[in-house]
This record gives sequence, structure tokens and C-alpha cells, in this order.
Amino acid sequence: MQDLLYFSQQLINGLTIGSTYALIAIGYTMVYGIIGMINFAHGEIYMIGAYTALIAITGLASLGVVWLPLILIVALVCAMIVSSSMGWAVERVAYRPVRGRHRLIPLISAIGMSIFLQNYVHLAQGSRNIGFPALIDGGFTFGSDGAFQMSLSYMQITIFITTLICMTALSLFIARSRTGRACRAVSQDLGMANLLGIDTNRIISATFVIGAALAAVAGLLLGMYYGSVDPLFGFIAGLKAFTAAVLGGIGSIPGAMLGGLILGVSESMTSGYLSGEYKDVVSFGLLILILLFKPTGLLGKPEVEKI
Amino acid sequence: MKMSVKKLATAVSTSIALMGAGHAAAEIQVGIAGPMTGPVAQYGDMQFSGARMAIEQINANGGVMGEKLVAVEYDDVCDPKQAVTVANNLVNDGVRFVVGHLCSSSTQPASDIYEDEGILMVTPASTSPEITERGYELVFRTIGLDSMQGPVAGNYIASLNPERVAIVHDKQQYGEGIATAVRDTLKDKGVEIAMFEGITAGDKDFSSLVTKLKQADVDYVYYGGYHPELGLILRQARQGDLDAVFMGPEGVGNKDINTIAGEAAEGLLVTLPPSFDQKAENQELVKAFEGKGEDPSGPFVLTSYAAVQLIADGIAKAESTDPFDVAAALRSGAYETPIGTVEYDKAGDMKSFEFVVYEWHSDGSKTPVN
Repeated sequence: MQDLLYFSQQLINGLTIGSTYALIAIGYTMVYGIIGMINFAHGEIYMIGAYTALIAITGLASLGVVWLPLILIVALVCAMIVSSSMGWAVERVAYRPVRGRHRLIPLISAIGMSIFLQNYVHLAQGSRNIGFPALIDGGFTFGSDGAFQMSLSYMQITIFITTLICMTALSLFIARSRTGRACRAVSQDLGMANLLGIDTNRIISATFVIGAALAAVAGLLLGMYYGSVDPLFGFIAGLKAFTAAVLGGIGSIPGAMLGGLILGVSESMTSGYLSGEYKDVVSFGLLILILLFKPTGLLGKPEVEKI
Repeated sequence: MKMSVKKLATAVSTSIALMGAGHAAAEIQVGIAGPMTGPVAQYGDMQFSGARMAIEQINANGGVMGEKLVAVEYDDVCDPKQAVTVANNLVNDGVRFVVGHLCSSSTQPASDIYEDEGILMVTPASTSPEITERGYELVFRTIGLDSMQGPVAGNYIASLNPERVAIVHDKQQYGEGIATAVRDTLKDKGVEIAMFEGITAGDKDFSSLVTKLKQADVDYVYYGGYHPELGLILRQARQGDLDAVFMGPEGVGNKDINTIAGEAAEGLLVTLPPSFDQKAENQELVKAFEGKGEDPSGPFVLTSYAAVQLIADGIAKAESTDPFDVAAALRSGAYETPIGTVEYDKAGDMKSFEFVVYEWHSDGSKTPVN
């Protein structure tokens, strides 16, 4: 019983962190699916989302707003708007001018963008860790007193539910809406879609904006869950999310979700049963193994459907 | 950075002109190297504030051997690679005395360059024993060692009769070093160590670690490292209902931990240098800091002040600005500083330095417990 509770606790920890990896990974995978490029500034967009949410929360608190749902919704909307415009701007500044050139060129310009954004936040917000208020406190506990108790916090439940809503909405959007259909068409053949009258520039912008909006959701959730933000907040999370995207098959949206969850769970199980020091060793070892046997990732299908 | 140097130079030359000295007096450059930016810039602020104040006051009292001290400031971001760049810049700029660096992992590689190039270094904050273990002639510090701080923490935890203790560190020179010292002390006292584990500095998610600590049923957790990670661990431990007392070294003891951990910082135990700003003989100095709107209570403010003062006193005693003469002078006498009487042993460590255990509160204040 004890062991089962411990296992479930580590599983919950892993799924929580994994579902946020998945939210960020969507941004990598969608952009790759459409234009075949990795958006290395994506981690920074996520970081900016977290900062914007924090600024909005602080602003509302200073105005005397105490009603939690309002605070959360305003923070979420602000973060999504700012991050989305950042995503849009990154595409306009760092991708569109060099689109169609050698593959390395947009890669370098995206890395430049990432460094620029990171340093901009350094200057604008300072380099220190800033605490994030714990808005959603408390939770359920399972197990008897005196022994190991499993806890499931309201924050973790919020993360699961929000991720689920976002993922469902995104899947429906891609499958049913006009823009979603255009996205799929562009990912299959950009040139042909263009000939058939699809405004490909608009679709590519939309991809960056959607990815950025989801990253902003993750920024708010993780900011609250961890408890602090700093300008390097996006770097490690971005790296992990990118790994998740590759693990699941870059270009595939269900792949990003699956990859995120696998990465999150493998990390928490490694720290839980082996040692925290081996967390990254196991996660990245897993990545290498999967790529050795299935180079397209778990759910990636080469050249057939990328989104 | 260049701006501030220029400004200082202008200020100094203006004051000389006002004094009507007629000809420009020679200047002694004192480098101040530490983190102005980055995750531990909070400590850098303490260092720069203390060192600037010392230079200001020494100059106001006529400088050293009639020469003014001039601060040259460098930002190493507490990054070992950056520290090496800074050290090389210092060499190029012709600076021969340095107050710094702050993080042990920066001080160590930088001190290799200083020793080779004949630059005298006094670190106000690096506590790793390895820094002074290499027989260097020009390396000093105005702070104690992990090998002194670790036993203080270990003995304190042992005195509370704990059942099981966990030790966590950030795998860096400072964090792992002090965690090892604490572990060894606890082992000697026969305390059961349930866990000794590293985390990755910069990580944000410690929920698995918290779960593991809960499973191990520990009543004390010692953390070797800095406040950004411990703040998050404290907060996530509270969310995960972990019921244990945390303790950390001076690297976690600053007010930034409260902005991260909030209420969860209440009851944290920290080993710190004694509050030099509370000493009666330092009250005039404390007022000078307060007059400038600065807070002298940080652990490295007065150690940095003392570092500059020792360089100045060493130069005065040696009657030479040659770093080797100054080093010999520092080793041969006793010096009165705001951190007490300083005497150096051959290695460049202070002959005595005391660490005190404090209990930290969620409003950022602290009370001594032993």
C-alpha cells in the first residue's frame, strides 16, 4: 500500500510536469510541421508569458481585485495576448525575411532572437528570481496518518484540466476549422497550397501565434506551480519541451502530447527511484534509444502527415 | 561598467582639482569582481556596496600613502567562464589588487590567473576550502571556510537529536563541498543519514524530491547551495505536506528567499557569519551605509569592506604597492577591521572565524538560536 501510494505520487508529479512540457512542445512541433524549422525562441516566448501573467496578477492585486477566477482569467488573457504578439513578431522578424534560404539561416536567426529576448527581459525585469504568488492552495491527501500520505493539490488538478481543455480545443481546431484545414494543407505541401489560393503567410503566422498562446498558458500554470520566474526560466523548459516534441515525433501534435507525458513521468520516476542526479541522463538516454530504433519519433510519420 | 569607471575617474580628478593639488596624484586601482547580474546578483550588491563604501571612506581619510584608491568594477555573473574573462581583463587593465570573487566556483579559476600574474586577491565570500589549499601566496579571504561552517551546522542538527536527516546539494563546488562537510560531522556524531543527493542548479521542479523526502520520513533536511533552488524546494515541500525542518549555509540567507518561498521560509535554519552590523563598534559605519540608503546587514557587506581595508592597511604597512610585499605584510600582523581583528595563517585563511546559526523568518528577519 505504502509503495503504491509512493508510486502514484511520483506518477502524478510526472504527469503534471509532463502535461506542461506537452503544452510547450506543441509550439515546436506545429512550426516544424508547417515550415520544417525549429523555433528556438519558443522557450523565451513561454518565459515572457509567465512574466506577463505575473505582472497582470500583481497589477490586479494592487488594484484590490481579490476574486480568484477573475485574476486568473485576466492573467491568462494578458499572457496569451503578449506571447502571441511575440510569436507573431518573431516570425515576421526572424523567419519570414529568410524563409526559403539555406536551413541554417533561420536557425541562427531564431537563436539570435532567443538571446535577444532573454537579455531584454534581463534588462527590463532584472536578473533575479521573482516569486509567483500561490493563488491556488491546498489539495486532497490520501493514506493514513503517520505513514506516507499521497497528496494531489488543486494546482495539479488545475494543470491537468487546463492542459486537457487546450489539447482538445487544438485538436478540434486543426480537424474541423477552415484555418485548421488550411494548416494541414500547408504542412503537406506549401507550394501547392499557395497555388490553390491559400494565404500561406497568414497560415504560418497563425501557427506561430497558436504555439505562443499555448506556451503562455504553460507559463502561467508553471509559474504558479513552481513559485518563481527568472529570465532563464524558458531555456531549460524549452529544451525539455523540444526533447518531448522529438521524442513523440516532431511535426505530430499527438506525438508532442505523448512525448511530453513520457518525458515528465520518466523524469519523476528516475528521481523517485534512482536519484535526482540521473534525471536528465535517463530522459536524454531514452531520447537517444527511441531515435535509434525509430528515427521519426514515436508517432512521427515521415512525409505523410506532419500536423 | 566603463561609464561608472569614467564617472569615478572624473569625480576623483574633480576632487583633486578642488583640493588644489596642482598635479595629479598617483592612484591605486582596486578591482571589485563579483556578480552584478545573474541569479545571485543579490550577493554581488552586498559586495559592491561594502567595497565602495570602504574605498570612499579611505579616500576621505587621505587615501593610502597619499594615493587615492580607485574602484574598477567587473561583472562575473557567478559564472566560472566569465570569471576567467574578468580575471584576464583585470590583468590587461593593470589592476594589482582585487576584492572578489564571490562564488567559490568563480574564485577558484580566477585565482589561478591572479597568482600567475602577481595580483593580490581577497575574497569576501568564497568559503570553499580548496581555494586556499593550493599554497598560493596572493590569495586571502575575509570569510570562514566550509570546513568551519559545515561542522557548525552539523553539530547544531546533531544537538537536536534528529531521527533521520537528509542532505541535498546542487552539485556545485560550494554546495557539494559544504554538504559533504555536514554529512561527515553528522556521521561522526552517529546521526542516521537517510539520503545524500544532488539536484541540478537552475531546475524548477522539485516535486519528486519532495515526495522522496516524505517517503524517507526525515525530520531535518540540510541543503548545500544557493537560495533560488532552496526557495523553490521550501515552497514545494509546503505544498506537498512535507513536515521537516530545513537548514542551509550562508548562500541561502538573504531576503530573496522570502520572495520565492513566502511563508514557507519561516523556521528555516541558516549558518551565517555573525551580524557584524550589530556590533557596537560598527555603529558609525552602519549609519554611513544608512545615510546612503544601503543596507549593511547582508552577510558580505562588511566582509567586503574589510577586504578593501586590509588591502589598504597592507599597502600602508608594507610601504609598497607590490602585491608580494603586501601579502607578506598581511601575513605578519593583526589588523582591526569591522569584522574583528584579522590575522592570517600561511594559507591566507583567517586564524579564527565564527559562524552563527540563525532562524529565518518569513518577513526576511532572522534571530540567532545558539
